[in-house]
Amino acid sequence: MRRLTDIMCVFRIQLAGMRGEAGPFLLAAVVFPSAMYLFANAVRGAESGHDDNRLRFLAGSIVFSLSLTSISWLGYLMLENRFTGRLKLFATMPLAPSSYVFGFLIFALAQAALSTLTLLAVGRALGVSVSPNLGALALVIVLTVLSLCGLGVIVAARARSFTEGSMMTDALGAGLVFLAPVYYGPEAMPQALRMFSRWLPTTFAASAVQTTLAGGHEILPELLALSLMTVATLALGLRLMKWRED
Amino acid sequence: MTAPAQTTFESREQRREGVRGGEDVREAALRVSGLVKRYRDGTEANRGIDMHVGVGEVVSILGPNGAGKTTFLRQVTTELRPTSGSINVFGEDAIAAPLRAKRLMGITPQEAGVFESLTVREHLELFARLKGLMKIEARRAACETAEELELGAELSKRVGTLSGGQRRRVLVGLALLGRPPLLVLDEPTTGLDPASRRAVWDVIRRAAARGATVILSTHYIEEAARLSDRIGIILAGRLVAFGSLEELLERLERSYRVSYRDPVDALGETRARYFASFAEARLHVETERLSEYSIARASLEDVYFTLTGQRPEEKEFEEAACAV
Repeated sequence: MRRLTDIMCVFRIQLAGMRGEAGPFLLAAVVFPSAMYLFANAVRGAESGHDDNRLRFLAGSIVFSLSLTSISWLGYLMLENRFTGRLKLFATMPLAPSSYVFGFLIFALAQAALSTLTLLAVGRALGVSVSPNLGALALVIVLTVLSLCGLGVIVAARARSFTEGSMMTDALGAGLVFLAPVYYGPEAMPQALRMFSRWLPTTFAASAVQTTLAGGHEILPELLALSLMTVATLALGLRLMKWRED
Repeated sequence: MTAPAQTTFESREQRREGVRGGEDVREAALRVSGLVKRYRDGTEANRGIDMHVGVGEVVSILGPNGAGKTTFLRQVTTELRPTSGSINVFGEDAIAAPLRAKRLMGITPQEAGVFESLTVREHLELFARLKGLMKIEARRAACETAEELELGAELSKRVGTLSGGQRRRVLVGLALLGRPPLLVLDEPTTGLDPASRRAVWDVIRRAAARGATVILSTHYIEEAARLSDRIGIILAGRLVAFGSLEELLERLERSYRVSYRDPVDALGETRARYFASFAEARLHVETERLSEYSIARASLEDVYFTLTGQRPEEKEFEEAACAV
């Protein structure tokens, strides 16, 4: 019970902090991904009218939004806490480092829910035909966010400076989307990159989101992969996040 | 875990001596033994510090920049792992069980940020919850703490709109929440204006009167002299002195200071010389035919400068130099 209270307090502190930082969040969560949807549609040209493509672009934009909010934005907030001394406030409290991380994860999940629903509304407004399997979509979103957040936590815990850390989170947030078959199929990628991108969390996430947006539910391999990545990245992130310096 | 009951004493002297009704009741709020901190590059920031702080004591730590004060306090607050040695907070091993030890502490770090978007009330309430207070208790504690720190009128203001001194007081307030039995304050008044500083002093005094043990580091000798039951001086990682003001003054061989202006240079700086007795000081005044002078018992400042090798003996001495 105590642990839950701690986690929710960290969540509320971050949520209250959003009052002054809603702009960057909206940019990362909604504006950039929506713009990317329009951009991908425009580049695809005449073929863009196909529902499959539009669905892929919408799924891609949702994954792009999750990547930006979970790695770039969340990582930025964690780095900011660390390098502006706010983390010390938490470190002086009888609070486990894991509660701090879990508070952030709840915050990230809340953001993901908001951004996904907004992007679905944007997609509908732009005429994308979706019949989402909401339960499966929610599961995919949760696992995607958790696995990507783990990367954000790792960078935030290990970065030697704010600049280095924010560059890393920005590069990862965008890079994981553009180096993976999110907006385009794997056949459009160079062979070497195709092999590498097969193992990226965004690849599994994009495939699973697209399937669930189309009403499908054959996403077990993707869920398994995302679960494994969640366990791996979060376990490492939690191990690295500690209050006490050596 | 239940915080240990706070021992109340009838007077500051009793608290320092740990004596009540003729009975020694002093128990250890903090017991530090052989504390060493050696960094990977070989730098030794603390070199075997031993310190026993009784329940209800107010202890100030003085020392020049880089002497190891903050390193010492960061180890006590479990922020930094010691290379060797032990730290016990009310019997809890702070190295092996940092969370349990932190439940007994209120900590103000030397440098910490605040959440600019949060109001003062949110700051205090949410962190009170993190300290384990129930919702209603947290609300009450936030109001009481804000009043104590003269921040009552700012409760609804965002922390980002406060002055630097007010922000610092918010940080001190976070340490006070839940009335922990041990307060560890790293330079709590640095950067505060005189009125804010006095507000923090009052808060520390009230906490001590309630029975809390307080350990603070400071660069202000006046602060240490006014607030503390005992004063520790850390130099090059070693605790070179630890005792009451009287005990520290007794360490000076020449504890009378003559402050004077040179008779042939009446517009010059004030100078100081030290003597073993009042008679010797008086003799110096007569021998030198000083007309503008004062003789005073040495102060904590003199002890500090003597122990740190910075005593301005025979050198130009500025009376106003108070902060070290």
